Amino acid sequence: MKDTLSRRTFVQAMAVGAAAVAAAGALSGCMEPKKADVGKPSTEADAQASAPSDGKVPGTTATHVDLTGADVYNTMCHGCIAACPVRAYVKDGVVVKLEGHPEAPLSAGSLCLKGMNQLHTLYSPRRVLYPMRRTGAKGADNAAFERISWEEAIDECAERIADIMEQHGTYSFFSSAGGGGSYVGAMLPPLLSGMFMAPTGFEPGAAQCWMPRNATAAFMYGGADQSTADSSVLETFKGLSKADKEAGIKNDMNCLVIWGTQPSASQTSQAGRGLAEVRALGCKTIVVDPNFSPDAAHATIHLPVRPGSDAALILAWYRMIFEEELYDKEFTKYFTNLPCLINPDTKLPWLATEVFDDYEPVTPEDTPVYVCVNEMTGEVEPLPFGDPAELSAALDPQVFATATVNGKESKSAGQIYKDEAEPWTLQRAEEFCWVPAERIREAVELYTAPAKEGKCAGITHGVATDQMEIASQAPLGLLGLDMIMGYVNKPGAALTQSTMGGPMGPQLDGTNQWGKCAADGTQPRPTKGYLAQLQYGYTVGATEAANQERVAQSDPSALAVYGKLWTDRLGLSNHRGLSAWGHSHIPAVREAIETGEPYRPRIWVELSGNKLAMLASSGAWYKAAMENVDYVVGQQPIFTSFHIELADIFFPTEEWLEHPHSRTGQLNYTFANPGIVHLGESVNPMHPWMLLADAVSAKLNERLDSVVFTGTGQTISELGLTFPLFKLGDRGNSDTTCWKMELTGVGAQLGLGEDATIDDYMAKLRNNSDAYYVSTPSEDYWTYGQHLVKATDGLPLGFATESRKCEVYCTTMLKLGRTGWPYCYPTAFEEPVDSRIGTFGGDYSPICRVPLQTEAPEVKGADGYTLPFDKDFPLAITSGRVPYFHHGTMRHAPYARELFPVPFIRINPETAAKYGISDGDWVEVSSRRTQGSDYDVSKRGTERSYAGEKTQTTKVSDPIRTIAYVSEVVAPNVVWMERFWNPECFDKSQKTKTGGWQECSVNVLTNGIDAQFNEVFGSYNYRAFAVNIKKSERPDRVWVTPKEFEPFMPTSENQVHDEIGVLMGNKDLVTDYYQFATADAPAQG
Amino acid sequence: MKRAMVMDLDRCTGCQSCIVACKFENNSGLGNYRCDIVDVGPYGTHPDIQMYWLPFQCQQCENAPCIEVCPTGASYRDPDNGVVLIGDQECIGCMTCLAACPFSDNAGAARPSARWFNEERNVVEKCTLCNHLTAKSDGVENPADSLDEAHAVPPCVHNCPTKCRHFGDLDDAASEASQMLAQAKAEGRPTYTLASDEAQATFVYILSESTAPWNGMGEWRSLVAKG
Ligand code: SF4
Ligand code: SF4
Ligand code: SF4
Repeated sequence: MKDTLSRRTFVQAMAVGAAAVAAAGALSGCMEPKKADVGKPSTEADAQASAPSDGKVPGTTATHVDLTGADVYNTMCHGCIAACPVRAYVKDGVVVKLEGHPEAPLSAGSLCLKGMNQLHTLYSPRRVLYPMRRTGAKGADNAAFERISWEEAIDECAERIADIMEQHGTYSFFSSAGGGGSYVGAMLPPLLSGMFMAPTGFEPGAAQCWMPRNATAAFMYGGADQSTADSSVLETFKGLSKADKEAGIKNDMNCLVIWGTQPSASQTSQAGRGLAEVRALGCKTIVVDPNFSPDAAHATIHLPVRPGSDAALILAWYRMIFEEELYDKEFTKYFTNLPCLINPDTKLPWLATEVFDDYEPVTPEDTPVYVCVNEMTGEVEPLPFGDPAELSAALDPQVFATATVNGKESKSAGQIYKDEAEPWTLQRAEEFCWVPAERIREAVELYTAPAKEGKCAGITHGVATDQMEIASQAPLGLLGLDMIMGYVNKPGAALTQSTMGGPMGPQLDGTNQWGKCAADGTQPRPTKGYLAQLQYGYTVGATEAANQERVAQSDPSALAVYGKLWTDRLGLSNHRGLSAWGHSHIPAVREAIETGEPYRPRIWVELSGNKLAMLASSGAWYKAAMENVDYVVGQQPIFTSFHIELADIFFPTEEWLEHPHSRTGQLNYTFANPGIVHLGESVNPMHPWMLLADAVSAKLNERLDSVVFTGTGQTISELGLTFPLFKLGDRGNSDTTCWKMELTGVGAQLGLGEDATIDDYMAKLRNNSDAYYVSTPSEDYWTYGQHLVKATDGLPLGFATESRKCEVYCTTMLKLGRTGWPYCYPTAFEEPVDSRIGTFGGDYSPICRVPLQTEAPEVKGADGYTLPFDKDFPLAITSGRVPYFHHGTMRHAPYARELFPVPFIRINPETAAKYGISDGDWVEVSSRRTQGSDYDVSKRGTERSYAGEKTQTTKVSDPIRTIAYVSEVVAPNVVWMERFWNPECFDKSQKTKTGGWQECSVNVLTNGIDAQFNEVFGSYNYRAFAVNIKKSERPDRVWVTPKEFEPFMPTSENQVHDEIGVLMGNKDLVTDYYQFATADAPAQG
Repeated sequence: MKRAMVMDLDRCTGCQSCIVACKFENNSGLGNYRCDIVDVGPYGTHPDIQMYWLPFQCQQCENAPCIEVCPTGASYRDPDNGVVLIGDQECIGCMTCLAACPFSDNAGAARPSARWFNEERNVVEKCTLCNHLTAKSDGVENPADSLDEAHAVPPCVHNCPTKCRHFGDLDDAASEASQMLAQAKAEGRPTYTLASDEAQATFVYILSESTAPWNGMGEWRSLVAKG
């Protein structure tokens, strides 16, 4: 029997809130509530009703997509970084339908709207399919470009770059990337710049996304981080795939803490699907997010933390866990460094050899012995690394201890943490973080409960805190929590090492053995290489001698130059964690462009999407680039604001259905990932730089006597060097063209030889599931207990840190701030970071602490933790993903824009009422970036914060506008909106054009100027700053209603290039719109 | 035969992929919607709030009033599988059916609405359960071939990221829809249909109290921008 809700109960349900019923009709004017109540046709309709048709079936004009004769290809989505397997239906060379591939172990046949909308972005009238040269002045309004050949484009670009470098020195070159999975990743800028002996390169997807969590995990245990989005935490999804089910492998996730991430909105088909499955299996979830995200709506407990206050909430968890002794005692004592007594002068653990005169270490040179208080004797004693079963007979390390060592009062690392957490009672956390104390308690109880039965919970930690001042504090705290709970390398834990053998792979130099870890005692002590090009960098866990030997393989003069690039990198003198991916500090780059200090980057090679929409304080960036950058190179499948405003030359790159991505995985599956079609002269995004690396080098090598290495003022010939400083293939990938890379990767997997053609390749993949993927057997993939396996030295393997333990007290943070170690080696920073930057007595903090929040709403009990309340900007704003877009992508996808035309700002009804704003109203949003300010910054430079000398006092942009979404989904005084840009602002139909980055983009407001940047990584503030709102009007040019987006629909009317005035008359450029069949190879050099 | 969908609201995250899948499959063009997502809630006061997303489209009513009222016979039931359909060649765009359907906007022009008036084509459209793919399907998908007419499911079902949507004949215990329904009952999760008086909607919604209390279409709100 079906449970139906009768009309009567439906009406009663509606009457639960009489206001709700009343609002029903008024709300959007869309529905009249009577309709649900009227179960019967009106009499008028009755009268009109004719007899049913006499058995004849009415005729229907087919509007659906016709797949007769279509070929089916297997490929993968790159709508976000998840890469879901996809089936593409191709008819007459045109992709006419996409769907999720059912063979996918996790996405299991689903495909989210970003994936499907690729049909529109691939064939978008906005595609620019040929290299372009700007022919007029910069700026969007009168932008004019002309088509040039690839040969011309590469040659002209190389010539200009070489000229400027000759005139201004090597440091004038800089590059940037972005776009996550869609386009060029974070790794290219440091490589590209480095080859040209220039230090500057960046991508927001580093300090602002993943790198802080990724690097901190490496420092703390040499293992994978807590990110689900970046395929680090995969244990959550164990047991879901067909292969796992066939192998009888079940899911073990009891409780997952989802901190600052919303997989259902960001990786909808993949992690979103996985979470839906595990929730259905009974996994409890705790979601920490200021916004009532889809995952929060489905959570067991939602902690709507005030934006930016996460560190205090984390410390409240520590306090409760320490106080109520909920942590895993054995793991904490023997496998973390919390019992180590800390030298108060160096802040590093005392070594047994420093404390006991004739102490003979019982472990090898690569495994130090520290000291602790032995609870059995009450004495300070050596604390060697070893098997707890053996050590515990005579040694019971005390986690919380204070003792006199070498005449100095020394606390254990555990005690230092405990003292730091002490002020953060649940009550204080409630006041500071705006989460009810009782709810925090429930969450901690839920998270710690599995430990009581010897089971696990785990934390997955997302991007949110990377975009705040707490970018290092949060991962320190959250990794440490899983560690003190002993939720490591066990079924149901987030910190497992199985992924290291999977898609993310082991280190290229083979130093990380986790994935292959066997139980047979053949593994050496684990190490972690922090290596860049030319063997630069240190392998932690290996001896100093072994490191020296490795470094000695490189040419010393090249290595000296490379080392100089490292320490001259903009912003690294303060924020050395940026070394993790070799990136510059983004605000420092902008400042250098503005001021020319310490050198001026003048050639901007931009490899991704829309930097004017994605960089914080975009108004300041626009001004800097307009005024002081001499030459701008851009590439993308379309013109974004960045290109229309700034680019001098433009390279057309492919959409994901056009270019192969080598070897992409989902769990223990690696899929072939071919391009399916090809349009115009677009190329793989790596391709121009494969060519330009050679072309620029060749031109520079003709001028070695005149090109100056800015770092030392010597010419390149004086240094005895040539360009490039290193080849892209110095580590790992040695190939030259992307197609070749694809062939050696996926092609080899398909059994194709080196001389195979694209046709051979496509033939293999066409409708052929067998050739589509390879997989590791499930039993080999899900592995546990790696740290307990015996190593060749007879000790347990432990972890790839100096101490071989989980460093909950992260000593690498301290050393990083002093010399740049382990990245900077064999060269080093000569000075430690500015003592005002380091909040731990001048050092980077090795534990989670609450830093000063520069821009915060009025918060009770916030004294010393926030700057004084600025009543001009009383609201906390934060941000998060929506399912329609990935970063800056797809604002030109009409089926996405009609559903989400503007970045709706979420406002609590109480706050909205205070400002006289109703749901659906246009709202102006302002921040200090849009207003000159004499705001009191006198508190800057306290013990908890230093934001540099500079303060922005002048307006850099106008306020932005968007539409209000009034709802209880956010707390009073908190607002929420996603990043945006409006490509319609330079549509040909506009009377006057803008770049579309100023109208609705929250990055006009974000603080990349004078916030307190994160001490370690320099992360700036996208997600926890202060704004004001007021009722406003719809801005010019911005499209809102569905039909307005018609010019974005791919039709024969909307030809490619239409929006770029100069090409309008040249229709023959675009006749090939639909003509490219699968046989066209991606262009080759 | 009772072809319908069973929607697991404990899974739906409101991502709207179903809307986009539908639009591509049926070439709906901008501003036309055969299926939609309704935000129901949030109810309560922050931070004590609950909500669910309601995937919404033609409910395949057992006593479909839209058929009864159609003056031209354009609204009909597929004689073989009983799916409620509209023949656009007979449809004259008179909108009579819009008033009769308990789930449609009177003008078929404001979201959400089961029947939608397509201005360009001057006809009323609605969800067909993708009968062009699924007319002969048993609702148990063939992973090797989505177009296998004996097993095909609508693209909004195939692509749904959370596997909220289950398609099939509710009179056939082996169909995906019936299986889901049986599972939900075994798990003790409540099931609902949208109130529709005599029309008798057949779509079934599964919703646990822990997600949110059932409130039908709530305030009938979807995230719709006003100009
Ligand atoms: S989650 Fe969506 S956008 Fe990301 S890879 Fe999967 S289908 Fe593509
Ligand atoms: S695609 Fe699935 S999860 Fe997304 S809104 Fe539609 S029914 Fe819900
Ligand atoms: S929901 Fe409306 S259109 Fe669908 S069968 Fe019922 S009355 Fe007809």
